[in-house]
Amino acid sequence: MSLRLLSVDPSDRGSQRCRLGPGLMSALGLGLGSPLLVSVPGGSCLCTAWPRPDLAEGFLQMDLKCSSPGVVSHPPTHLNLDPDQLTPVPCPKLKGVKITVVVQGVDFKKLTPPGLVHELVKDMLKGVHVHEKHVINLENFDTEIRYVVIESINPDSASAGFITSKTCVEIVGIQTLRHYRSQLQHQQIVPLGGLEEVSASLREMLQLPLLYPGALRSLGVSCPRGVLLVGPPGVGKTLLVRRVVGEVGASLVVVRGPEVVGSRPGESEEKLRAVFERARSAAEEGPCVLFLDELDSLCPRRSGSSAPENRLVAQLLTLMDGMKRSDSFLIVGATNRPDSLDPALRRPGRFDREVIIGAPTLRQRTAILSVLCARMPVCPSVDMAELAQRTTGYVGADLSALCREAAMHAIRGSSKGSGEQTVGVKHFHEALKAVRPSCLRSSLGRTELSPTSWEQIGGLDEVKLKLRQSIEWPMLYPEAFVRLGLCRPRGVLLYGPPGCAKTTLVKAAASTSHCAFLSVGGADLYSPYVGDSEKALAQLFRQARACAPCILFLDEIDSLIGSRSNSQTPNSVQTRLLSVLLNEMDGVGLKTLERRGTEKILQAEVAEENRTQEQSDYQEVCNNNVMVVAATNRPDCLDSALLRPGRLDHIIYVPPPDQQARLCILKMCTKSMPVGADVCLEELAAKTELYSGADLENLCKEAALLALQEENMAASTIRHTYFLRSLGTMSPSLTAQQIQAYQKHPR
Amino acid sequence: MSKPALMSLHQALRKSFQTLEGNQKVWKSVLADCSPLMGSLGNLAEQSRALSNVQISNTPLRDFPDLEERLRFKLSQATDTVLGKLNEKTSSLQSVRDSISNQVSAVFQLYEQNTDSLDLLAVTERSATAPSVSDMLEWLQDAERHYRQQFLRRKTLLLTLRADDLSLLESAPKRWKSLECPGAEDHITDTLCKVSFFTESQ
Repeated sequence: MSLRLLSVDPSDRGSQRCRLGPGLMSALGLGLGSPLLVSVPGGSCLCTAWPRPDLAEGFLQMDLKCSSPGVVSHPPTHLNLDPDQLTPVPCPKLKGVKITVVVQGVDFKKLTPPGLVHELVKDMLKGVHVHEKHVINLENFDTEIRYVVIESINPDSASAGFITSKTCVEIVGIQTLRHYRSQLQHQQIVPLGGLEEVSASLREMLQLPLLYPGALRSLGVSCPRGVLLVGPPGVGKTLLVRRVVGEVGASLVVVRGPEVVGSRPGESEEKLRAVFERARSAAEEGPCVLFLDELDSLCPRRSGSSAPENRLVAQLLTLMDGMKRSDSFLIVGATNRPDSLDPALRRPGRFDREVIIGAPTLRQRTAILSVLCARMPVCPSVDMAELAQRTTGYVGADLSALCREAAMHAIRGSSKGSGEQTVGVKHFHEALKAVRPSCLRSSLGRTELSPTSWEQIGGLDEVKLKLRQSIEWPMLYPEAFVRLGLCRPRGVLLYGPPGCAKTTLVKAAASTSHCAFLSVGGADLYSPYVGDSEKALAQLFRQARACAPCILFLDEIDSLIGSRSNSQTPNSVQTRLLSVLLNEMDGVGLKTLERRGTEKILQAEVAEENRTQEQSDYQEVCNNNVMVVAATNRPDCLDSALLRPGRLDHIIYVPPPDQQARLCILKMCTKSMPVGADVCLEELAAKTELYSGADLENLCKEAALLALQEENMAASTIRHTYFLRSLGTMSPSLTAQQIQAYQKHPR
Repeated sequence: MSKPALMSLHQALRKSFQTLEGNQKVWKSVLADCSPLMGSLGNLAEQSRALSNVQISNTPLRDFPDLEERLRFKLSQATDTVLGKLNEKTSSLQSVRDSISNQVSAVFQLYEQNTDSLDLLAVTERSATAPSVSDMLEWLQDAERHYRQQFLRRKTLLLTLRADDLSLLESAPKRWKSLECPGAEDHITDTLCKVSFFTESQ
């Protein structure tokens, strides 16, 4: 027999009664008003048993006057209870009880003398059955006193008891309802990966003044009270604050820019003052964080005119300055545009510390992914480290979108009837196509690559090897590079006659190493406004660094950049772009805002640690740069400063194909063509001296067209004569003179 | 065997209901006495407010020395007197509450002493003239809870008044009136009607 839980009768509200059928009462051995503990999912509730007025069985109605905290926040509804969830408990008269009082407002807490609260609470608690750690609901008295939390009871031999007029009531503390609720809420903790260092420093700032108030006072210093979190959107600034606040058990006062701004003059300032007042009163009850999200909208750089924002900024500044030493709350601001903040905000005394959270590094991504996947049924074959490698430039929000997308793919797959219940590698790969890194969104040079493999390029083995050395090896064998003290090259210049597969080589390099790939041409950079092109190039480098390791491809660099020595106009756009490029490639250092992760220095002696861990360590240290790959067919036009080691260190000559290479190229080009049996590619290769790769491809096309022309669309094979005839009409695009000029070009 | 226990319990219940009836009348009369006092408290607050709003030096009354201080003293003295009277009334309300509480807990104690001889069937048995013991105990508890709640609310109202917060004082009569709960009061009257046959049957 099960009991249906009904909602409490209005006349029973506040009576602590629990209505059951008389049959069940006598079965449990209960008399009128006997204490009874009812366990429900999420907690329990102490009531006194009474028969229902209609004496019906099978129903239960209980008043939640004394129940555990979980039941208070989520009252049970629509439940069927088992009779053995009801247990009679002995309730002896108590000698004493220790309680925490929860009151409605701060004013009541401040203005009411403690004696009065004590008197009222004592009156209210008289005749109540209480249980240890339970919460007594006093809302039906309609006063400012809302709840009483029973901390401990005396004698402590029993877990429950009855309060009489002789029970000594001791108030341990008084809290406001808001604080109490937030404490109840913070018990569930948000998952967060990869931000351990930052969250530790935040936690320290919150806890230090609480743990060692005496030490700080004797040192005569006050703990820092303002932190500015800076970072690109989606790296988890807001989540970090929520997480730390939850861990420390502090209360959180959130200010969002638009909420504060009012329409009338002076209204915004007033609201801001009220927010600070709220934080101040919350801080009296324990640690408190005032969180100003999207600070740039609240506090933009002040302009000369008397804009209304100026007053708001001034109000914020004075409020932050006017914080007294006794106001022990921490102000955390978050922004992704620190440059648009008013400079007066960023000084010690206001925001003492600035914490920069960059796009996550490889290791951080691994941590984030494992946190995100912890609650997903992920197939054990999914390797988080490998996935992290493929997600360069992804921030936390992107990664969570990626996981969601993968899970959606898995659901779609299982609904189609494949019967799989786990999220597998292929789902993640599908999702990788749909979710792109937000660092690169709205970036100039983002390009969709059609994947090209090294095998699709005929010949040029030496060049391929060199390219792989400088692009692939640092990714694949970082520990070998570190062992030999090598570092990744900064830049590679490919030069050679036109049509010799320079661009294709770069494509292949980009698609085999899982780097981010950006490619820019003149059209992206040039703009009619002075200074705009330089800005765009600098921005491009900034974005590339945010998602390093990254390959930045500058095609036709000679037209893009030019040289300083032989140009007619010394101050043209080209020279200015050149100076930007030189600076970005080998400048003094990074801007502070672009910091990512923590600086790590590798020790020479590495203990026998986890191999994969070590590998990812090396990865992180070695591959944190942007590699510039440039291609040109006029190397003599380049500025000499660009060609020195440290900038474009590897200068690779891509020669026109020799006979062997031409044969390879011809084989590659005719792979998809129905070539006649009489075709002798070796002969063609021998006859095409000075032909470039593009010429050879054209030759094959011409031959095929000729076949169609001659045989009226019904041609099924391309015969050798067509090749020879089209060869007769064509001339090579290269000349011996040209090639000599390239070979003469000094290294 | 349960007969004597039941009889004595019935006797105690009868007595309790009689006390409840008497106390209800006292409670009502005390409350009736209180409302003019609350009204004058509100008036005094209003006068204080008027006094703070006026600049006496700008009126013809400026020739009287220390007029504002004197008036303020008068007003606070009057407020004091009213509050003193209200305090007396509160203590008589408290005595009503205490007597009801004591009576109810005495009946309950008597029941608890005899729990063994009174099974649930006996206490839930109703008849045409007498409600069941459990119902009557319940009603007594409800009445006691009502008076306790009423008393606490009124006491809180009076105790949280502060001389420096005029708006609290001004709104006091209104809030006092809003505490009245005619529904619950009627409920008690109903209860007394329901048990009238029982109390009169000796």
